[in-house]
Formats: sequence, structure tokens, C-alpha cells
Amino acid sequence: MLDWQTQRRIELFLFEEARLLDAGQFQEWLKLYEPQGIYWIPSQPGQTDPLNVASIVYEDHAILAIRVQRLLEARALVLTPMPHTTHLIGNVEAEEAGDGGFTVSAAFVCVEHQGDRQRIYSGRHSYKLARHGDSFRIKMKRVALLNSDGVHTAMAVPL
Amino acid sequence: MDKSASPITSDDIRSLVRPDHVHRRAYADAAVFQLEQERIFSRLWIYVAHESQLRKPGDFVRTRLAAYEILVTRHTDGNIYVLQNRCPHRGARICMVDHGNAKVFSCPYHAWSFRPDGSLDSVPHRKSYPEAFSLDDPQNHMQRVGRVAVYRGFVFATLNENPAPLVLHLGPMVKVIDNLVDRAPDGEIEIADSSFTLEYQGNWKLHLENAADIFHPSFVHNSSVAPARRAPANASLLDQDQTREMLLANGFGTAEWEGIQLNGFSGGHAYMNNIYSKGVLASQDADPVVARYRAALTARLGPERTAQVLAMNRFNNIIYPNLVLNAQYQQMRVTVPLSVDRTLVHIHCFRLKGAPDEMFHRAVRFLSTLGSPMSMIFSDDVEMLERCQQGLTRDVGPWIDFSRGIGTDRRSQDGSISGAASEMPMRIQFEAWVSYLTAEAV
Repeated sequence: MLDWQTQRRIELFLFEEARLLDAGQFQEWLKLYEPQGIYWIPSQPGQTDPLNVASIVYEDHAILAIRVQRLLEARALVLTPMPHTTHLIGNVEAEEAGDGGFTVSAAFVCVEHQGDRQRIYSGRHSYKLARHGDSFRIKMKRVALLNSDGVHTAMAVPL
Repeated sequence: MDKSASPITSDDIRSLVRPDHVHRRAYADAAVFQLEQERIFSRLWIYVAHESQLRKPGDFVRTRLAAYEILVTRHTDGNIYVLQNRCPHRGARICMVDHGNAKVFSCPYHAWSFRPDGSLDSVPHRKSYPEAFSLDDPQNHMQRVGRVAVYRGFVFATLNENPAPLVLHLGPMVKVIDNLVDRAPDGEIEIADSSFTLEYQGNWKLHLENAADIFHPSFVHNSSVAPARRAPANASLLDQDQTREMLLANGFGTAEWEGIQLNGFSGGHAYMNNIYSKGVLASQDADPVVARYRAALTARLGPERTAQVLAMNRFNNIIYPNLVLNAQYQQMRVTVPLSVDRTLVHIHCFRLKGAPDEMFHRAVRFLSTLGSPMSMIFSDDVEMLERCQQGLTRDVGPWIDFSRGIGTDRRSQDGSISGAASEMPMRIQFEAWVSYLTAEAV
């Protein structure tokens, strides 16, 4: 088990990520990723293969940078009006990884309010984190949606 | 919202469509939708499955055909059957998964068990049923709904007792199915296991029109074109720049735009030429994966035929009423109408058997980039489809405009040809729509 200070620092890092997403500070959010960091939302429960199996999102920093630009500057149609979200993170379990970093698992709920409708997303995040000074950087974030293989409506704000 | 289901006549239908305008009731009247279910989705050939999902006896796919939930099955006799997903005993839905394999379909309520052809295999405690009760009585079987026809692996079904031959309905669109299958070095394609299903709050025709609309991308997709233009090339380590190229491709310059040709056919089919052909998306580009693929294809077809197959450069091929195929990127979209203002879109891709694995990875990437619920492209399309539906629910100013390009369309042997700025495909679709909906008898 991790010492409580490290555990707490990891939790605070995840809370910071959630706060940046809620505040619409997507560029700051992207800075939490390593230059080669990957953001992954699989389309199938238990999916391990991002090449032969379609993903809702499987993007590295370079493609995420385009996605963030779209969210920020070029106001996409699906983002008018801009959705407001609450990203809630809990049940955080972290352990040391072999490479000096950490693997983290956390449950999440995201409530998204846009115009006259409200939607709820939920599932489990798994992270591979690298140490970065006093803080961390994301090498991989995998978002396992409860309804990954279900019927979807268009989604825009990252989970 | 207009949900009245008063009877609707052929004259009513004709009165909704002018050469250059359509009345909003075509999209928002539940009675019109009911007639579409009866005369379009029940009478025409509707894509229901791909044979690669039905290889072994017992393989099945669950989907919809008009108002029915159906199971498309492969029986031990080698035939494909379309069964209503309902137990004839007490009416319960039987199968609750989208695809799989089952020796028998067993109703969980009182355990009637059915073979993949719908026949009744067994009932428990047989002696408590009357003497006249027979397992062989078709009334006690899962009901076969409709007929089945297969064109090169694409399984179509219809409730029409007396349908036109499938190839006649497909008409010139058989060429795109041929082209998709011919692109496989082993001469066979396989539908990918993973796919997406999106639901939008809008009429099914909106998606079909959008797939044929080459005017909108410069506006609707600007929010992904602009950042893709500013982004450096080849920065991603994942996809040889495929995602960025795809986003860029929606930002047509005038020259590219005017180079696009739209083709529409009687029956409502349409396709477009010369679009979306840069980077790894372009088969003519010399990259090592394509070189290996081309060699594999040439080994089977020879150089001349290979060049012919790869030269077909069509984007969305719209097979009326609900199938959109894209042979060069191995993509397929299937529209399933749920109600007048609710539609599902199933989005699939295919594997070309015998092609390098990377070709399939690119098809999967294409599927995710264009068809995922978080797609930076399609999510904006869906937003517009929903806004159209919202606008069409009120009767003030009920006529919508399809006049763009109307003087410039040219008639071809079997349809119409126009430039990208024309709404010709929608006019063709509505011409077909009127003719299907006003055909009283089959």
C-alpha cells in the first residue's frame, strides 16, 4: 500500500484534472499529459486492443491538441451552448508501477448540463502516471464507460 | 409536435413534394412515418446483416425490419431466415443480445425452444398441452417475416410478398458492393466485431440527405477543419496523420468542390466522386502498407484489373432507403427509423481478407474518427439533424427549400448528374419517396 501522503497527492492530482475539465480549461488539462500521453475511451467492455477494435476516443497528445482547439476556439456546433459539467472522482486506489510511476483506478460520475438537457456518464478511470517534480503527468488515461458498447448520443466534453 | 395518425392519401403525399420544395410534414407527421414503414421499410429490400456474421449454423444477428424486431439466423440447412423475435406462446421477446450463436432459441417464460429456422423443437411437460397441439403447427413457430436475398455477402430482407429482384432494386449501386468485395485480396470481406450505434432525435431522411450533401462540410465542420489546419503535420505517433487528414478533408477549396460530381438514380440512390482522397486515405499514394496491399491484390486480379478496382473513387454511396457504403475506406452506415423523430445509425467497418493488418487498422481508425459518439466530425452533423427536426415541428412557413442547382443538373442514362453545390440527390430521393409512398398495391 502507498503511504498516505503519496495516495493523497495522487487524489489531489485527479481532483485537479476534474476541476480543469469542469472549468473549461482544456489547454491546462492537456498539459497534465506527457508529450506522448494517450487518452482512451474503449467501445467495448474489457477492450485491450485499440487497433483492431474501434474506440470512442484513442488519441495521443498531438490529436488531443486538435480536439482541445476545437473545444476552445472554433466553437463546435455540438458545443453551442457550451455544456457545463461536474466531474466527480471517487474510490481512488493507487499503487506503484514497475517503472517508478503509479497505476491508479478511480470511479467517476460526470453530470453534463447543456441547453435544456442533462446527461450522466459513469464508469471507471484507469491511469498510468509518471512522476513529475512534486506532481504527476498522465502517460495513459483509460475511461471505461458503463455503457461503452451501448447506444450513444453525441458527446463532446472529455470525461 | 404533430403526432396525429389520421389516414393519409396518395394525394396528400404528392401535395407534400414540389420540384424544389418539401413540406415539413414529410419529416414530422406520424401518419407519414406510418406510411413510410408500410410502403418503404416493409416493401423495399432492407439491409439486415452481413454473411460474415452468419457463417455457422446457429449464428444470428438481432436487428429491426420496419416495425418488427427480428433475428436473422443461419439454420443447419444452410439457409438464412428472418424471424420475429417473439415467442408465439405468450408473446415475450426471446433474444436479448445483438448477435451470437445459439443451437436453439429458448423462451425463458415457459421454455418453448425453437430451432434457427423458427420451428418448434420442444415444449416441457408436453402431456399438459391438448392432444391437437403440434410441434409442427406453423402457428407454434417463431414467425418467419419476409423474404431474404443476398448480394455478395450483403443480406437484405423484405416483408414484400412479391418483391422486385434484389439486383433490380440495387440497380447501378451493385457496383459499389462489387468494388468493396473486389478490394479484398482473398475475394472476401468480413464485418468488424466492433461498431457504433448513435441515436438522434430526428427523422431518418435527415441522415440520408446529409450523407448526400456536399455543400455543408465547409460550414458544419469548420470547428475541426480550422484547428487541423493549424496543427503540425505528422505530429501524432498513432496514425500516420490519418485523423488530421480526415478533419482537413472537410475544408474544401472551391477547386476541389467544383471537382466533385454527384450522381443520382431513380429509386433514390446516389453517390459522389472525387472526394476525401489525401494521405493514407488515398490508395494511389505510395506508402509501404498500400504497396503490400496492392501486391496482394495484383496477385489475385492481375495489374490491369487491380488498377481498375482501386481507381473507383466514390465517397458515400447511398442505397435507398437506409444504407450508406464507402468501399475505399471499407465503411458502412445503416439507418434504422424508430419513430417520426427518432433514428438509430449503426456505423460499421469491414476487413479486407488477405490485406495487410494495417489496412484494417486504418478502417477502424476511420470508423472511430467519423462515427464515434465523440467524433469531431459526425457529432456536429447530428447536432444539425436535431436542429432541423426541432425547426420542422411547427407549421408556420412549412416549406423547406431544395432548389439549389436545379437548373444545372444533367440527365444521364439512368439518372442525374450534378456538381457538388446541387441539391439534386435530395430531389432524387424525394422523387423516389413519392413514387414508393403512392404505390397503392405491390
